Amino acid sequence: MSNLFQYDKDREAASAAKVRALEALLIEKGVIGSDSVDTVLGHFESVAGPFNGARIVARAWVDADYKRRLIEDTPKAIAELDLPQGMDGAEGEHMIAVENTDTVHNLIICTLCSCYPWPILGLPPYWYKDPVFRARGVREPRAVLREFGVPLSDDVEVKVWDSSAQIRWFVVPKRPANSGHLSEEQLAALVTPEAMMGVALVPTPV
Amino acid sequence: MFTRFEEYAATQMLGHIDSPPREQGKLFFSEDWQRTLFGLTLALSKEGHFEWEDFRQKLIQSIGNWENAAACQEQPPWDYYDRFFEALMDVLKAHKLLDLAELQGLLESRV
Repeated sequence: MSNLFQYDKDREAASAAKVRALEALLIEKGVIGSDSVDTVLGHFESVAGPFNGARIVARAWVDADYKRRLIEDTPKAIAELDLPQGMDGAEGEHMIAVENTDTVHNLIICTLCSCYPWPILGLPPYWYKDPVFRARGVREPRAVLREFGVPLSDDVEVKVWDSSAQIRWFVVPKRPANSGHLSEEQLAALVTPEAMMGVALVPTPV
Repeated sequence: MFTRFEEYAATQMLGHIDSPPREQGKLFFSEDWQRTLFGLTLALSKEGHFEWEDFRQKLIQSIGNWENAAACQEQPPWDYYDRFFEALMDVLKAHKLLDLAELQGLLESRV
């Protein structure tokens, strides 16, 4: 049992050789093209993913007018940025951004299934579909947030937003302290999907 | 409704036994061969060689076989992408896209 999660390097090398051979064979037989793998993975790596949401949040942090437009009309504001097509609602749903402030903290859940703003937050974490998370997120959001490492004082109002097939919510987290010297790109690197779901804070840069 | 096959395929797996490892919204690959394997499988299905659900069922079956191994001693160390490889081979064989002997021959010729 103690060896169950231990791997030897030969095993990794053997797996790598098998996959390389398989890919070469399928290309040689004309089953797939030589660039098929990179093309299909490019969707996750550079088209739709949390890097889009991070760019939107960073822009909102450095441009108060943009943040106002983002909250008022989220799809329109997202469309202002030079993001891949479809980031303002790729599945035909409506996107709404909500802002965390000193007095309001927002939490995104989905009580029905697992609706999630994929194009800008990427793949949801495993617990997003968990029935306990979904139920407790509604019933006792403060306790859930505390367990995620987000303790909130009593004077902060917690708002829980339930995503649906029609509306996908995401959070514009609070800009961390001591980040005034950072560029928009550096700010974007601080933003995580969990912060944009409201289950994490953006840490103060060191 | 998903307009992109890539999103449909990944989402079908989420919350189920065959969920792929991921980290902060991205697919997580600890080795490059895992990335190639995932991409290869997705590309094959996207190009119509087999239904994504057919592959998923093979993967679920492979994970189940690992879990049901009679004794720990007979169980290889857990590796999601080992199960993924086994499932891909199963679906390729089922759809007559690959003869195992062909792959074995290629592997031996490269040793």
